[in-house]
Amino acid sequence: MATKEKEQELIKRLQDAVINYKIADAKKVAEEAIAVGADAYTVTMEGLAGGMEVVSEKFDSHEYFVPETLLCAKALYAALDVLKPHIKLQAGGSRGQVVLGVMQGDVHDLGKNIIKAIFEASGWTVHDLGRDVPLQRFVEEQLKTDSDIVMLSAMMTTSMVGIKKLIPMIKEKNPKVKIMIGGAPITEKTVEEYGADTTADNAPNALKEAMKMLETLRKGRAA
Amino acid sequence: MKEDQVKMDHTIIFQPSGRRGLVPAGTTILDASRKLGVDIEAVCGELIVCGKCRVKIMEGKFQKEDITSSMKHLSSLDEKETKVLERKDAVENVRLACCTRIHGDVLVFVPEASRTGKQVVSKAAGKIKVKLKPAVRKYYLELPVPNLDDPLGDFERIEKVLYGKNPKMKKLTIDYRALQKLPDVLRKSDWKITVTVWNNAEIIRVEPGQAATNIGLAVDIGTTSVAGYLTDLNTGDVIVTESMMNPQVRYGEDVMSRISYCMFNEESGLKELQDTITEGLNTIAKAATDKAGFSTDDISEMTLVCNTAMHHILLGINPEYMGVAPFTPALHHSVDIKAERLGIHILPAGNIHVLPIEAGFVGADNVGCLIADKPHKRKEMTLLIDIGTNGELVLGNRDKLISCSCATGPALEGAQIEFGMRAAPGAIERVKIDPRTLEATFKVIGSARWSDGEAKMQAKGICGSAIIDVIAEMFRTGILKKNGQINHDLVSKRIRKNDKGLSEYVLAWRHETAIDADIVVNQKDVRAIQLAKGALYSGCLIMLRKLGIKKFDRLAVAGAFGSHIDKVAAMVIGMFPDCDLKRVEYIGNAAGDGARIALLSTDERKEANVIARKVEYVELALEEDFNDRFGEAMQFPHMFDEFPHLEGILPREPQAVGK
Repeated sequence: MATKEKEQELIKRLQDAVINYKIADAKKVAEEAIAVGADAYTVTMEGLAGGMEVVSEKFDSHEYFVPETLLCAKALYAALDVLKPHIKLQAGGSRGQVVLGVMQGDVHDLGKNIIKAIFEASGWTVHDLGRDVPLQRFVEEQLKTDSDIVMLSAMMTTSMVGIKKLIPMIKEKNPKVKIMIGGAPITEKTVEEYGADTTADNAPNALKEAMKMLETLRKGRAA
Repeated sequence: MKEDQVKMDHTIIFQPSGRRGLVPAGTTILDASRKLGVDIEAVCGELIVCGKCRVKIMEGKFQKEDITSSMKHLSSLDEKETKVLERKDAVENVRLACCTRIHGDVLVFVPEASRTGKQVVSKAAGKIKVKLKPAVRKYYLELPVPNLDDPLGDFERIEKVLYGKNPKMKKLTIDYRALQKLPDVLRKSDWKITVTVWNNAEIIRVEPGQAATNIGLAVDIGTTSVAGYLTDLNTGDVIVTESMMNPQVRYGEDVMSRISYCMFNEESGLKELQDTITEGLNTIAKAATDKAGFSTDDISEMTLVCNTAMHHILLGINPEYMGVAPFTPALHHSVDIKAERLGIHILPAGNIHVLPIEAGFVGADNVGCLIADKPHKRKEMTLLIDIGTNGELVLGNRDKLISCSCATGPALEGAQIEFGMRAAPGAIERVKIDPRTLEATFKVIGSARWSDGEAKMQAKGICGSAIIDVIAEMFRTGILKKNGQINHDLVSKRIRKNDKGLSEYVLAWRHETAIDADIVVNQKDVRAIQLAKGALYSGCLIMLRKLGIKKFDRLAVAGAFGSHIDKVAAMVIGMFPDCDLKRVEYIGNAAGDGARIALLSTDERKEANVIARKVEYVELALEEDFNDRFGEAMQFPHMFDEFPHLEGILPREPQAVGK
């Protein structure tokens, strides 16, 4: 077991590696953490997720843009790949599950990939269906995994149209599931028109929205 | 829904145009404006985002117009609209035309900023080299007069003579309308007539006596503007150039918003858009022939280039499927259709030749560029960039050509930019920033002088060329960091934050503008440009890699807008990879030149069909590492790439980011 001080030091270094997108550093620190027996779950959550949180803030304040965020996500994955096999499931478990994918007819997956990184870093289980995903696949994956949230991405007005068809298909099978939609052409008006639950204009906001929805869902279940 | 209430019609009047009409209750102001032929900007495609369709509602009883207009006659404000209006500091009685519905009589004033202004369209015809071989030829014939010994039919009589002149005209036919006129024309003109033959195959017109006039119209339908070149088919000379805004702009500025208009309005959308462009073509044909002193019937053929979406819409083909992956067009091959069938008012039997298509997002306009610039005939490696509302790239030489489409979006042309506007009078078109004082000076379309910070410049917004200028200047002077962030470490009263906390740089002070506000470039504008130019640059890189080469020999920049871009500024922001600036060539409106070439030569039409299928289309988004390359290319001028040709122009020590 690593000492508390050592663990804090590793967490700090992981955060820095993610925030400053030092991909090689991220991997090295993660390996060191495993070598010294630090708790993989703690360093992941506090180091990686903590780092990504700062990245989100920088994105919000316009300090960072897409290129930096992509690199941060890379650093994150470099470390996560090392840490993941060592995370014990009982340590709190997953926060929630999402099914994520880009609509049929659309191959623009940059936004979706950033979402995935931020969600995974925050301890969510992400079922990524990729891009140009047939509508039925979303319905099947949601049923199979019993995910809490389905997140649909569309970068073009033309592919966005599919969302209108898809939402009733998902809700018919499982009325409780929450649906978040996002992408360049999507606005609050789309959410309303298509019967989605929410949208977000960037990944950090998507995470906030997802947390809110998850809370509502869990309250609903407890009641 | 129960329709127990009879829908009422209400009067709407638009000012300053004075157009008025009755519309059913529930119609949006924007839809009403379209019906009545009033142009209101709809940049975002009615998504209640851009706020460019702001109109002012005049309240009160208007005697002259005989209506009582009131804000109460409109649907109420919702949250979404309020949000957009607030952002634009709406004054009283301002509403968004796209979402405000009419439930009573109203008088609507369209402020200048919301009008689709008359654009400065400069699609001048370039010099073209082509061996004349038009599809349409005229033959003056003196026919033997029939008698009882020689009672051969009129058409066969002509056929026999024509075959004697040109054995290719073996299987001749005649257009139905021409046939109906034939007997009278022949007899009234004493058997001396001129016949117009299309493609050695069909007589499309018969005229009495000798008629020398042989003209055609080559048209370039751009997403934003349409240009027509009335051309003498005997000499190849352009007689008149006529251009206009693409009237479809009323339905949204970019291709995607027009395709989705067709999708969302299943019953009538496609037809409306098709009629709109047909009407536009008719206006151009009429105006051009009027100027030249001809009739529209004198135009015996029209060639057309346009992107694939415009192509489908013009032909009334559902554009939905080419609008989604795998972006399959209805056909690649060129199309020949009689004008009459499309409702295009040239000679009714005249042919409309639409050039072939390469792919869903590389259309006939790109084929036009290819037959104009002929990279496939050159030994050197050409990178051809056609910058319009979309960016199309072609790379290669006589051995191989590949193409791709970059989703640049309309940001480079001024849309999606807070103070962006089209190249119209009042638009800022050139910008310089002093690196020491960080003071800006600019030039406005319609005026030759540079601003001095004092004079009233009557600036209204920033057009595409100036956006590239200003971003390049901001980066060069350190106002923008390499990653695009506005640098608040620098001290200047022009660098500030707005009331929402968004960073901005003041380009023109309120007293220099005509809009009663400062004109600024904000952080979001910079981001929009980064996305657009990153798309272009990463497209270039991936294409180079596909051909296994490191650099190209020659950069050909096409597009009316392309020729207004300052090439140094374009390279400073990294719209394309480093290259010898001396080898950057503006080839003008190559798409339009291609349409003229096709009009003048059937051989070139054949070649166009061959190249269109030979160019290998690369779907950028499918490249494994596209997102990474795209991300890197968003920085100024690029995250890693070196720019030896910008030595001394770029900031000496750019902050190294990401290494």
